[in-house]
Amino acid sequence: MNLEETNVADSNPYPVSGHVTPRLLLLGLGNDILTDDAIGLLVVRQLHRNFGSHPSIDFHDTTEMGLALLDFITGYSAVVVVDSIQTGRTEPGFLHEVDAATLKDLSRRTPHFLGLGETLALGWQLGLAMPKRVKIFAVEVEDPFTLSTQMTPKLQAALPVIVERIAGEVKIWLVNA
Amino acid sequence: MDKAAQVAWNEGSARANAAYQTGRRRFTIDPITRLEGHGKIDIFLDGKGDVERAYLQVPELRGFEVFCLGRPAEDMPQITSRICGVCPTAHHMASTKALDALYQVEPTSAGRKIRELVYNTFMLEDHALHVFVLGGPDFIVGPDAPLEQRNIVGVIQKIGLEAGKRVINSRKRLRELIAYFGGKVVHPVLGLPGGVSKALKPEDLPGFKQLAKEGVEFALWTLEVFRKIVLGNPAYVKMITSDAFTHRTCYMGMVDEQNKVNFYDGNLRVVDCNGKEVCKFTGWQYREFVAEHVEPWSYMKFTFLKQRGWKGFVEGPDTSIYSVAPLARLNAADGMATPRAQAAYEELFKTLGGKPVHYTLANHWARVIEMIYAAERMEQLINDPEITSKDVRRVPTGVPKVGMGVVEAPRGTLFHHYETDGRGLITMANMVVATGNNAARIAMSVERAAKGLIKGGNVTEGLLNKIEMAFRAYDPCLGCATHSLPGHLPLRVNIYDRERNLVRQLVQS
Repeated sequence: MNLEETNVADSNPYPVSGHVTPRLLLLGLGNDILTDDAIGLLVVRQLHRNFGSHPSIDFHDTTEMGLALLDFITGYSAVVVVDSIQTGRTEPGFLHEVDAATLKDLSRRTPHFLGLGETLALGWQLGLAMPKRVKIFAVEVEDPFTLSTQMTPKLQAALPVIVERIAGEVKIWLVNA
Repeated sequence: MDKAAQVAWNEGSARANAAYQTGRRRFTIDPITRLEGHGKIDIFLDGKGDVERAYLQVPELRGFEVFCLGRPAEDMPQITSRICGVCPTAHHMASTKALDALYQVEPTSAGRKIRELVYNTFMLEDHALHVFVLGGPDFIVGPDAPLEQRNIVGVIQKIGLEAGKRVINSRKRLRELIAYFGGKVVHPVLGLPGGVSKALKPEDLPGFKQLAKEGVEFALWTLEVFRKIVLGNPAYVKMITSDAFTHRTCYMGMVDEQNKVNFYDGNLRVVDCNGKEVCKFTGWQYREFVAEHVEPWSYMKFTFLKQRGWKGFVEGPDTSIYSVAPLARLNAADGMATPRAQAAYEELFKTLGGKPVHYTLANHWARVIEMIYAAERMEQLINDPEITSKDVRRVPTGVPKVGMGVVEAPRGTLFHHYETDGRGLITMANMVVATGNNAARIAMSVERAAKGLIKGGNVTEGLLNKIEMAFRAYDPCLGCATHSLPGHLPLRVNIYDRERNLVRQLVQS
């Protein structure tokens, strides 16, 4: 099986509290053996290939969630998260965009985001070096429950479109950073 | 609830019911209770508006065996640890032990000790996560606190900022130890048949000794917090000991040769609702002692004690239903193998009226006691002279055939069972996960809560929270399918009248 993974943290990357580097983290969440749940990981891996080793961007993908995300996001000035979501209200492949401020609303629909929302709130409360800007892209998925390393055709077709769309957004962020 | 949605739902369910009635003779999932997405509870009322049955539905993990077929057995510790982002180390360890058995190789003494060290570190970290983050909002903040406060931020407001930092920092440092050996916390590459992939360098030892010492202090401090906030509040204690959260079932847990709790290795011991030993068996024998029952309304398989036979969702001395997880482990054992955990163990049973304790919510307390044991065991292992030995792996030479591995995961007993051809390619893979072992009792808890809170068609305020509390105490990892925080599973409750029309829907807000 392909156990590809980018930018694996072999040691814990917790930064010193209060120290924020002017860097953007592109964080992919999901599970690459649960069919469409891999989308967040695949998008970030593809973005990594497109941008290469960009001086202002770090790339990370992980199957972790909730509190563990604190380990990844502290120390960055901005974080873009790519995750999967199943609202059942849009076509698979649809890209939902969420600002950190609206996380609370989305938490009703996906546990990932509630974990992330709470994680952000917790980091702020504890005075950790939290990102000032957080943006979440959530891809509507068809099947995140079947064990498979292949996404469904709709998601496969959507992948390059999503990558391009987020790359565009990232470029805008870099200009404004 | 939106009228149009209600009409559409009822029409759809009528069609589904008709289809179900036609096909009910074969095994099928009742369409009305079929799950889309996340967890839900279906409650069916009788003619008087009282609860007839209540069902908890969870997502199904599809295709595990098919996915594994033909893959090299050595991939299994990585594959299975990816199934779940909540307890990857438990799957990794059960799988690694199954590979030992498959290749008929005993790990070296140092290899085994490193595995146990990492495993206890994981148990301490995972239990701490539950105590403060997942279960904490129920107890530390309080079951009747406003919803917006029942989260980790509310917990920190209650215990204080410094204490909050201590929780977060302890957890982070424990994860560093796991990452030291495994490379990654989520899909560790630690375990190999016959041992582990990495030795502990002597120069790194002092840091880990300090960590273990702090781990013990952290666990003991957690017990103090629990005593003060939970046990010091008569209303909480009354709730813990209330009938609504009590079930007289059997209990299963892994024990060492002295019948003390062990997470990594040992025999499985089962006691009945009076604390009498029913059976004791090795992982290899699990199929002789544990069987799975299916119900037409759920994807979940309900395990039961095979030799007693399936007797339904009943309690009492003859029940074949057992539970697993912290309280079950404490009930099934004769004590804890480390001194401070033993003292805490005695305090629990003395306070709650002797063994076994049947109060589901006492799981939270039992979890804190297990944190102490895990930390003390870490300290023992890190101070063992052999822990820095370089002899961490014995290379297997046997021809693979069948492998069984069992560990106590944070959420209860976890079995992995593989069969391969002579080249070590998987021909059969099965897992019995902790939540499956607890499924029958969780179902009973949900139904009990629903029956107590709905009378004559009136739904008592706080129904969702009470039902959630009933199953959150088990810390269920629902479905082992989504990498979702179990304590925060978006819960939906559907209430149907006797004609199976949806009359009300409650969604966790």
